[in-house]
Amino acid sequence: MKTEIYNTFINFSDIRKRFGQKQILDNSDIEIKSGKCILLYGKNGSGKTTFLRIIAGLETPDSGFVNTGLGKYHWKKCRQQLRNSVVYLHQQPYMFEGDVISNLNFSLHNKLNQKQRLQRIRSALKWAGLESIAENSAKTLSGGELQRVAITRAWLRNPEILLLDEPVTNMDYESRLRTIDLLLNLKQQGVALVVSSHDPVHFEALTDNCLQLSEGRLSDYTSSENITPINYKKYIYEHTY
Amino acid sequence: MDDSTSITLDAIHLLFSGDAELWAIIGVSFQVSSTAIFISVPPALIIAFILAYADFPGRRLLISIFNTLLAVPAVVIGLTFYLLLSRQGILGDWRLLFTQSAMVMGQAALSFPILVAMGHAAFQAVDKRAWETARTLGANRMRAFYTVMKEARFGLLAALFSAYGRIIAEVGASMMLGGNILNYTRNIPTAIALETSKGEFSQGIALGLVLIILAFTLNTFLQYFQGKGHLSN
Repeated sequence: MKTEIYNTFINFSDIRKRFGQKQILDNSDIEIKSGKCILLYGKNGSGKTTFLRIIAGLETPDSGFVNTGLGKYHWKKCRQQLRNSVVYLHQQPYMFEGDVISNLNFSLHNKLNQKQRLQRIRSALKWAGLESIAENSAKTLSGGELQRVAITRAWLRNPEILLLDEPVTNMDYESRLRTIDLLLNLKQQGVALVVSSHDPVHFEALTDNCLQLSEGRLSDYTSSENITPINYKKYIYEHTY
Repeated sequence: MDDSTSITLDAIHLLFSGDAELWAIIGVSFQVSSTAIFISVPPALIIAFILAYADFPGRRLLISIFNTLLAVPAVVIGLTFYLLLSRQGILGDWRLLFTQSAMVMGQAALSFPILVAMGHAAFQAVDKRAWETARTLGANRMRAFYTVMKEARFGLLAALFSAYGRIIAEVGASMMLGGNILNYTRNIPTAIALETSKGEFSQGIALGLVLIILAFTLNTFLQYFQGKGHLSN
C-alpha cells in the first residue's frame, strides 16, 4: 500500500529492538515535525544510533508503526517511503572515491541533465561555503569539512527529515558553528532534524525538543532553553552518571 | 649458441612470423577463457557481495566451502565434469565432451571460487557505510551495489586478473574436457604439454612467452589502474 509522507509530521510508535539478550528499544515513540529539531540525548550504548537507523529505514525493528498523517502502518510497509524522505548521516560520514563535486553529484536525481546537475552543485557549494574545496578529494577532508559536505549532499536530496548521529563530535569551535549554521538554515527551509548527541549544549540554538533515551525508552526531558552552558555540567552529571 | 638460446630464438621467430597454427591455438585459449570469465563473473560477484554484506545462517560455512574450493586441482575439476559430460554421465545427452563448451564449463568452475573468495575479501574491505550512504541518498539496490563495486574496484580487478590468469594457464581440465583437438580445443597449455612430449620445444616456449606476456600485461594494467592511491604510509 502506497503512503505519502505527510509534510507536517511523522509519528513512530511502539518501536522495539533487541540485540541478543539486550532490549535496546522498548516501546519508544517519537513525533517528528517539519521545521523542528529534536535532540536525542543518551549515554553511550543507550540505542540512539539504532533508533536513528530505524527511522532512516536502515535497521529493521522487531516491531514498530509509522503514522504519516494518512494512517498508522507497520514499519515494513513504510520502509521505502522512509528511504525516500529521510537521510541519515553517520557519525563519521562516508565519502565515496572522487572529489567533493562527484560526491554531491551522487545525490542528484538521474533525470537531471549535465547542465542542471552542475547548476545545482554550484548552488549547493555556495550555500555551504564549500567552493574552495570543491575539487579536493573527498577522502582527505577534515572532520568539519566532511560533515558539511555530507550535510550539503543530503540537502541536494531534498529530504523531509535529516537524521544526524553525533554531528559535531571532535570538531573545533569554528567548524561546529559552521555546521550548526547549516543545520539552522535547513530547519528554516522546513526540514525536520533529529540530532543525537552527548553534548546538548552545542545545539542550544537549534533544538526545539530534547528527548532522553534511557533503558530503551524515550522521555521528553526538557526544552532546550533549560540546557544552557551554565547548567550544562549539572545536566550532564544528573543524566549521564 | 647453446641449445636453450637457439630454441628460445626459434620460439620468438615462430611467434612473430605469424604461424597460423600457433595463432589458432592462442585464439582458442583467449576465446575459451574469456567466455568462461564472462559467464562466471556476474554470479560470483553477487555471491561475494552477499557473503560480505548479508548476515544469514550458514554464511561462514559457505565462505569456508569457497575457500576450500580454491585448493581443488584443475584436473579434479576436469575429472568431475568429464564424469558429468561423458555418455554415461547425467549431462551426457548434451554431447558436450571434447568441445569448447565443455572447456568453458570447466574453466568457469575453476574461476568461480577464486572470484568469490577474492571478491568477498575485496567487498569486506569496503566500509559498510558505503552501502548505507548510497541507500540513504536514494540509490536503489542495483545502484548501491554498483557504487560499492566501484569502491572495491582494485580488489575486484585483482580477483578478475587472478582468475583469468589461473584458467588460461591451466592444463588439467582443458585436456580432459577439450581433448586437445587441433584448431578446435587445443589451447596454449595443452599445446605446450603436447609439444614438450614430442620434443618440439620451440612452439612450447613461444606459447609460454605468450602466457608470460599476458601475465605481465594484466599486472601492469592493475598497477597502472591502482595508481598512487594505494601507496602505503
